[in-house]
Amino acid sequence: MNPIALTWVLVGKDLKIEYRSRQAYLTTVFFALLILVIFNFAFDPGSPATREAAPGILWVALLFPGIIRLNRSFQVEMEEGTLYGLILSPADRGVLFLGKFLANWLFLMVVDLLVLLAFVIVYNFSFSIQLLWIALLIVLSALGFSAVGTLLGAMVSTIRTREVLLPVLLFPIILPIILPAVSGTQEILLAQEIQSLGRSVELLLAFDVIYLAAGFVLFDYVVAD
Amino acid sequence: MPEPSVPLLRLSKVTKRFGVIRAVWNVDLEVSQGDSLAIFGPNGAGKTTLLRIIASLTQPTSGEIEFAFKGDNQSRNRVGYVSHLSLLYNELTGFENLLFYARLYGIQEAHDRADEMLAKMGLEEARNQRTGEYSRGMKQRLTLARALLHEPQLLLLDEPYTGLDQHGSRLFTEVLRGLKQEGRTILLVTHNLGEGLELCDRVMIQNRGELVFQALGEHLDKSGFEKLYFQAVEGERTE
Amino acid sequence: MSFTWPPDLYFLIMLSPINTSWRLARLYLRIADWSLIPLYFLMVVALYGAFLYAPTEREMGEVQRIFYFHVGAAWNCFLAFFGVFLGGVAYLITRKRSWDHLAASCVEVGVVFTTMVLTTGPIWARPIWNTWWPWGDPRIMTTMVLWLIYVAYLMLRSSLPEGETKYKYCAVFGIIGFLDVPIVWFSIRWWRTIHPVVITSSGAELEPEMIHALFVSVIAMTVLCVTLVMLRMAMRLNSSMAEELTHS
Repeated sequence: MNPIALTWVLVGKDLKIEYRSRQAYLTTVFFALLILVIFNFAFDPGSPATREAAPGILWVALLFPGIIRLNRSFQVEMEEGTLYGLILSPADRGVLFLGKFLANWLFLMVVDLLVLLAFVIVYNFSFSIQLLWIALLIVLSALGFSAVGTLLGAMVSTIRTREVLLPVLLFPIILPIILPAVSGTQEILLAQEIQSLGRSVELLLAFDVIYLAAGFVLFDYVVAD
Repeated sequence: MPEPSVPLLRLSKVTKRFGVIRAVWNVDLEVSQGDSLAIFGPNGAGKTTLLRIIASLTQPTSGEIEFAFKGDNQSRNRVGYVSHLSLLYNELTGFENLLFYARLYGIQEAHDRADEMLAKMGLEEARNQRTGEYSRGMKQRLTLARALLHEPQLLLLDEPYTGLDQHGSRLFTEVLRGLKQEGRTILLVTHNLGEGLELCDRVMIQNRGELVFQALGEHLDKSGFEKLYFQAVEGERTE
Repeated sequence: MSFTWPPDLYFLIMLSPINTSWRLARLYLRIADWSLIPLYFLMVVALYGAFLYAPTEREMGEVQRIFYFHVGAAWNCFLAFFGVFLGGVAYLITRKRSWDHLAASCVEVGVVFTTMVLTTGPIWARPIWNTWWPWGDPRIMTTMVLWLIYVAYLMLRSSLPEGETKYKYCAVFGIIGFLDVPIVWFSIRWWRTIHPVVITSSGAELEPEMIHALFVSVIAMTVLCVTLVMLRMAMRLNSSMAEELTHS
């Protein structure tokens, strides 16, 4: 079977499982919405300061559900030992990584775009074509996030304290992509101009490429014993 | 197919440590084509680790494993592994599980193959039922079907009888006996003497990582073996 | 060799098949041993250089002297973290345990030096920039992210049971952690820089005496870093040998 078809088999499997256990999916979205609302309660909703901080709040609301997703992604594989089923098969380990990564990426993008929608409404921003730029930032950062996250998620999946360990390992690594994402969003929402957006995209792309390659190469070491 | 005289699998001086614990110690083992071998041992004797090493799920600390498989060293294509976990997705149906793994193994006509295996294990009726809803016995048969999808030469079974009722385990033994007649090589590890003795031609005892006893099943007096097993396992403990 | 080995144990190790490890441990200790005396002199000279030889900075005053230790520590934390990266890559390729020893020891020493950078930095920044923690400086931020990454590394290490899996996971994390360094750097430089040219401008103003003092200080710190890494590596090797002796 060629690697691309095989990747889609893997992705299809994950999406089917997610669809059948919608509960987990909805919990993730709901958690993100809660974060948006909590920040709205914590700050004075009408004040300009909250509006200034809104892009940061959006990205916090995008990050935490991501962790839940990644933990779940490998929890599914550990329940019945299916991770061993995958690595016992003759499929290339890199392809296994790509399958898992793509599923996580697709899943995160769907959650994130829903969160963006809710964010615009809850924080009273207007729907405009500019939002597409934010969507682009979300797509790119979700890519890098899923790439590192899939690698680390596979790594911690066998450790007892994985739920805590995953964010502890993942957050320091993804810190640098928060800056371009937030400041890009800030420009789009508040400054109404997109001068340095190109730079945000550049940096996110660099991060994506580096960690996608690293994940592809290193995944073999984190699943094989 | 390898020559009958050439061992299908050879382990020499295989040792696996976890930190300071020796899970598998100095194991020499030869398995020939068509063998059916049972390895007995108490909990914690290192049986599962030994099986995982053979399945290439874990690397030995020292020692060597050789397979006689010809072709592109695809030992993964020639080994079927039944672990004490089912390796099945609870959210998928029996058919979807088999279809997924068939594709993973690059089997042509994956649909037909999945249906064929379901029929063989008597699971046609549960074809479209999620495996999370299967009974233990059905699940165990599907687990075996999964391991056999790619027609492995060597079948590794890790405590396959756990959780099966009498009826279920008899059914399971029937299936395994059928496989034996097909000429597949079976390597079974268990702490349950009855089933292993019934099925296998060769028996071994592993204790504290070491293989301490081996014999051919046909020369074996069953009640005598039981006594011997407890001696082998407990003799060392009382020392 | 001034390090005390009980003679009977010494004899046992010589007979055991692992005495190549023993030779290695002896090498580490020897390097550490030999560097102790030069290290002592370098330290004294560095202290003299920083506190007496170098003139007081005109605008910043005495507090500027912390700079000599700060820079030395900063350079060494990058050196140590590069060692982690190197050890990780080499471990994954060769599967030799000593590479893991190198990586683990470098993380420990690196975290100590990073902590030093993060402590001396605010002490200097408070009177100069009127703030303990200038969030805008790319160097401080990068160092802080590095500190977080490698403290996370230590947490990963301590939550894994001893064994090859542990060394492999740590190697992988050490590699991806180091890959983050350039990204962190550019990210902060492009988006959060409020003082873009801090060190460059003061670097241009350095008196020759200051440069001498800085030079000696950096060398002393580097020798200290190497010595500490060697000691930790020898300690690790000894403890893994002791494990094997007691359990084989």
